[in-house]
Amino acid sequence: MVVSLKRRNGLVDFFYWIWDGLERTVFIGTKFSFPARFVSPFGFLGMLTFVIFIILGISGALLMFYYQPILDRAWDSVEKINDTVPYGFMIRNIHYHASNAMVLLAVLHMYYQYFSGRYKIRNEIIWVTGVVLGTVTILEAFTGYDIIFSERAELAISIAASLTNSMPVVGPTIRDAMFGSGFADFILRFYTMHVFLLPIVMLGLMAVHMPRFLVFDVPMVMAISGAIFLTGGVFPVDLGSKFEPTVPPGITVPEWYLTGIYAFLRTQYDKFVTGVLWPGIFIVAIAMTPFIDRYKKFSWKDRPLVTAFGITGITQVMVTTYWGFYITPDITKPLVARLVIDPIFFYLIMLLLVPIGFGFSYMMILLAKESERKAKLAAAKGPHKSAPINLSGKWINWLIIGLLAFQVYLNIAAYNAALSGMKNFALFLTGLILMVFAGLFHLYRHGLNEAKKVPVAPQAESESPKPLDSKEPSASLPS
Amino acid sequence: MSEQDSAKDALSRRDFLKLLGAAGVALTFTPFVPWGKFMPNPSNASLDKAQVILPDGTQANVKTFPKNHSEVITYPKTGDTVLDQEAFKKWQFIRLPEELGGDKDDVTAFRAYSMVCLHLWCLWKYWPQEGRKRGECPCHGSMYNPLNGKAFAGPASLQASPSNVLATLYFEADNDGNLWIQPAVWNVNENGVVGYGRFLKT
Repeated sequence: MVVSLKRRNGLVDFFYWIWDGLERTVFIGTKFSFPARFVSPFGFLGMLTFVIFIILGISGALLMFYYQPILDRAWDSVEKINDTVPYGFMIRNIHYHASNAMVLLAVLHMYYQYFSGRYKIRNEIIWVTGVVLGTVTILEAFTGYDIIFSERAELAISIAASLTNSMPVVGPTIRDAMFGSGFADFILRFYTMHVFLLPIVMLGLMAVHMPRFLVFDVPMVMAISGAIFLTGGVFPVDLGSKFEPTVPPGITVPEWYLTGIYAFLRTQYDKFVTGVLWPGIFIVAIAMTPFIDRYKKFSWKDRPLVTAFGITGITQVMVTTYWGFYITPDITKPLVARLVIDPIFFYLIMLLLVPIGFGFSYMMILLAKESERKAKLAAAKGPHKSAPINLSGKWINWLIIGLLAFQVYLNIAAYNAALSGMKNFALFLTGLILMVFAGLFHLYRHGLNEAKKVPVAPQAESESPKPLDSKEPSASLPS
Repeated sequence: MSEQDSAKDALSRRDFLKLLGAAGVALTFTPFVPWGKFMPNPSNASLDKAQVILPDGTQANVKTFPKNHSEVITYPKTGDTVLDQEAFKKWQFIRLPEELGGDKDDVTAFRAYSMVCLHLWCLWKYWPQEGRKRGECPCHGSMYNPLNGKAFAGPASLQASPSNVLATLYFEADNDGNLWIQPAVWNVNENGVVGYGRFLKT
């Protein structure tokens, strides 16, 4: 049996042919890179968000086969997907947790870009479209959890319709246009927006938002997907209770990305101001950041005011998000006392967070400068000392084989779990498979890098021998 | 002033005026184009005198309906089971507790208010327990007086009139004591507007 050790077989050649052909397409302006070693995922959180968008598109399309956007059937069809349809539980959980992951990653992506000042250097268009894209993402997630039409969804739609209605002058018109004559229309319209209109808008915005340098890191994509599966397995999303118009719902809170607004609404102040104006000002302020930030430098350490504003914003978002969730469990108290947040207390805390945020930023900047100074001193003294993990080629091979065997075991276990009806566990194991694959891929990549290194030449020889396949073109793959 | 110059500078004065004229003509006709008439859905229920049908299918009767009790009724009914699930067609049908006049066997003992809370349109309901005997909204805690539908606590009570009084239905009873809903007029001075409010008659 002849086994070729060359990695460039016909299939690989075919992929390279496709890859080279892409240069004639719109992607010519875009430079993809596949990192050959571990790089911090903060730099390509946007790409990860996009990957999750694709996961959402696929899982959502699968859900569309069974979902019925009809007032009295929506919840039942979701229940059917969850309980009866084979693998429906998995698809639904992947879709749900991926939606949360997308909102979370989009927010993290935004804050990373904010603190690293990437919106400068003529990236204003990308920044502003990104903010709009984030807002549309939240709308997309919101319409998604509404069309289940559980009790919570009904309340959410009501609140959204009422807030729309509360806008001065244009409110009632927009309400009429967007929500139709009532819930029977709402549900169909929200479905249309969720599966078509908003995704199209998002794709359009993405086309503008896309920078010229993209990083596609396979292990990180796998790890994120695995994390979504794992979360779905450990915290499977419930169905809620079906909305019955004759049974008014109990106390419910919205999804976590909206509890901040919910906290403001619970202060009882005017609904337009708290529910539309404050969030609107927040979004516009974020969108306008590149035009306000006049610092010449990029790092957060050199832009104290902008950093302080960012930190204050984050703390306020976190506090309101938690506060929106929190309802006193003491049921002996009257409903109003449990739900209503004292506006004076609430806004005082919001104001108090401003000096705290500024103080915290000041402290962080001082600490960072101090550690920078120390690092410089240490660098002057000598080379940086760290303890790398040195694995020999043999051990890397054994580890890869071990991980492969683990993959096989996990596959059998996941299949077995699915067969015996343990849906969560099957989902959990599938997540683990993706995680292990991420590790495997990273190890393989590491092994390739190690193999490429020129071995230390023996002392006596004057000319070091070249490694065997040094002539192999690495094409566009950076090494 | 050659042609080259005017080609470089994007807009000549003549072109600008032309553009202004075109935009003006377009804008003149804007109000006459029914933009977005496609989107709002015309509602299709007729407002007739209707029986008060309880969830169990019977007609409410002043003699049999228990005091200090509420049920959900649907008005106006379309006959379509899906459309009749509409929250905007749901009303809390309340027989007042005795101390508020619920012991009389006539229409004055009955009230019906739109279940859509005036604050953010969640669905409230009537709580008959001792010490409550009021409508409470689960979302942000607005509370309604069962006598006239006026919000007395919570965010709905802070809204300006007419947005602090629930839309209502008026009843009449026939000789057997069966209850009927009088045709409603969706107007803030009459039955009120669901989700918006009503002016209290003094």
